[in-house]
Amino acid sequence: MILEVKNLLKAFGGLVAIRDLNLAVNEGEIVGLIGPNGSGKTTLFNLISGVLKPDKGEIRFNEIDITGLKPHKVCQGGIARTFQLTKPFMQMTTLQNVMIGRTYGSEPVRSMRQAEGECERILEFVGLGGKRLSLVATFGLVDRKRVEIARALATKPRLLLLDETMAGLNPSEMEDALRLVKAIGDSGITLIVVEHVMKVILDISSRLMVLNYGEIIAEGTPQEVVRDEKVVEAYLGE
Amino acid sequence: MSNWKHLSVSGGIIVLLILVPLIFTRTDILTFFFLTLLYITLSQSWNILGGYTGQINLGHAAFFGAGALAARYIWLHFGLPLPLAILGGGLAATIFAMIIGFPAFRLRGIYFVIGTLVLAEILRLVFYTILPRADVMPMRLLGAYSLIPRYYLSLLIALLTVAAVYWISRSRLGLGLMSIREDEDAAEASGVDTQRYKLLAFAISTFLTGLAGGIYAYYSAAFRAGGLFEPVWTFDAVIIVFVGGVGTILGPVIGSVFFVLLKQFLSLYLPGGIHVAVFGVLFIIVVLFLPGGLVELITRFRKRTSGGSIQIDS
Ligand SMILES: Nc1ncnc2c1ncn2[C@@H]1O[C@H](COP(=O)(O)OP(=O)(O)OP(=O)(O)O)[C@@H](O)[C@H]1O
Ligand SMILES: [Mg+2]
Repeated sequence: MILEVKNLLKAFGGLVAIRDLNLAVNEGEIVGLIGPNGSGKTTLFNLISGVLKPDKGEIRFNEIDITGLKPHKVCQGGIARTFQLTKPFMQMTTLQNVMIGRTYGSEPVRSMRQAEGECERILEFVGLGGKRLSLVATFGLVDRKRVEIARALATKPRLLLLDETMAGLNPSEMEDALRLVKAIGDSGITLIVVEHVMKVILDISSRLMVLNYGEIIAEGTPQEVVRDEKVVEAYLGE
Repeated sequence: MSNWKHLSVSGGIIVLLILVPLIFTRTDILTFFFLTLLYITLSQSWNILGGYTGQINLGHAAFFGAGALAARYIWLHFGLPLPLAILGGGLAATIFAMIIGFPAFRLRGIYFVIGTLVLAEILRLVFYTILPRADVMPMRLLGAYSLIPRYYLSLLIALLTVAAVYWISRSRLGLGLMSIREDEDAAEASGVDTQRYKLLAFAISTFLTGLAGGIYAYYSAAFRAGGLFEPVWTFDAVIIVFVGGVGTILGPVIGSVFFVLLKQFLSLYLPGGIHVAVFGVLFIIVVLFLPGGLVELITRFRKRTSGGSIQIDS
């Protein structure tokens, strides 16, 4: 088991965003995480990545307790993430963005030259090879998302949390992104993927979890989950 | 420009700067060079924290003043060697910085800006009160006073500071600092210990500022301790950085030359103090219409005339 979450609880004032949540992810899985707006998906990512501290519960990564660690420690430990509202380093080049991940993440490289070589391969991989020296501020949404993914990959994660990477993409861009996510999975990185587009999530996930009001209400193969009555209700009841 | 060309141009400039006291014997000209170099250190050190790391320090004067006062006491009043005094000035400034930086950086955003501003103001008032009389160099030193060693010391520290920024800008450390400036959440998510690197940038910045203060303590025949903490030390540095080009190596250098020249020029034709207003207006114009400062203006001009390549890190 690469990730294990036990009895996790997080409230914002009176609002319970994550309610006594348990989950386990195995090495090599691509887990799809879906749920209506405000159901707590991003909050769960924030808890795992250390941005938020849980009120109760435990998060274990590779059998080690990482609950309450600061985000940079979590990243150095091997969990990377992207942000739903992208946060690339705008006034820096694509290469510099990725270099930061490579020189500060887990298994960091101290030599700038070595890091540069590795980062160029990562940029090729995500399809930004020709834009190494462009300022990210000049990019559109699609390339900004690619920069974020490349930066996260450069930290050499064992587990990658993708928060709505496909949102705002047109169908052909979505095809590209889908291929990219699959390639990341094939490279051996375990993935938890939050997406709203059903077609996408059914296509890539080896397992699906459904969050509603901070609780996991269903879990299983994509085929099982879509037939689940509670899931249908949660989505139609919106 | 290629690396080799960079190197030979920088080398040429350094040689010329070493020759300055031999070429110019007039005190006013040597003072101009001395002040320009002092301002390069003062502004470049602010740039490390403000320009590269994105942490706006409005209490730069506190660290300049702490450095100057510490150095002056170590050198003049405790009678220790000058190099030790100037180093002591740098260290005193850094210690102050860590005391304020540790709590201020725990809270993000405006707290650091306000904290540093308040610190400088408190120190200014305190030192005007507890050390109200002017600190004057004793006659034996004034009799033998020469600008030349002051000039060379100022040159040495300015070169050290510019070299430090040059190194930072192409190192792993520089990447980490810039990531903090761009987005702290994303920096943390990429493995950067933002608290630690902010403190580190603050320490480097204030150490160099303290050295500048130390040189000023060696240069100034007489000052009132409170005057070392006047906001003008902060705002001169800030204006130079923004007018020259924030977050660049050349910006503070070009900005300092421009600033000291213009200040001398204005003081010839305008009543005292008016230059502050002129620089204020200039600052606003640059922030609104030329966010990249003079450095960007030069880059644009060169691009137009030579069709040269774009450089991200000037
Ligand atoms: N920092 C915060 N402070 C207060 N409330 C918050 C905070 N973050 C999230 N919430 C609340 O917690 C709940 C869960 O939000 P979260 O962003 O995790 O949902 P989500 O599943 O990611 O939704 P979406 O699909 O819209 O991205 C929401 O009601 C939200 O308003
Ligand atoms: Mg969300």
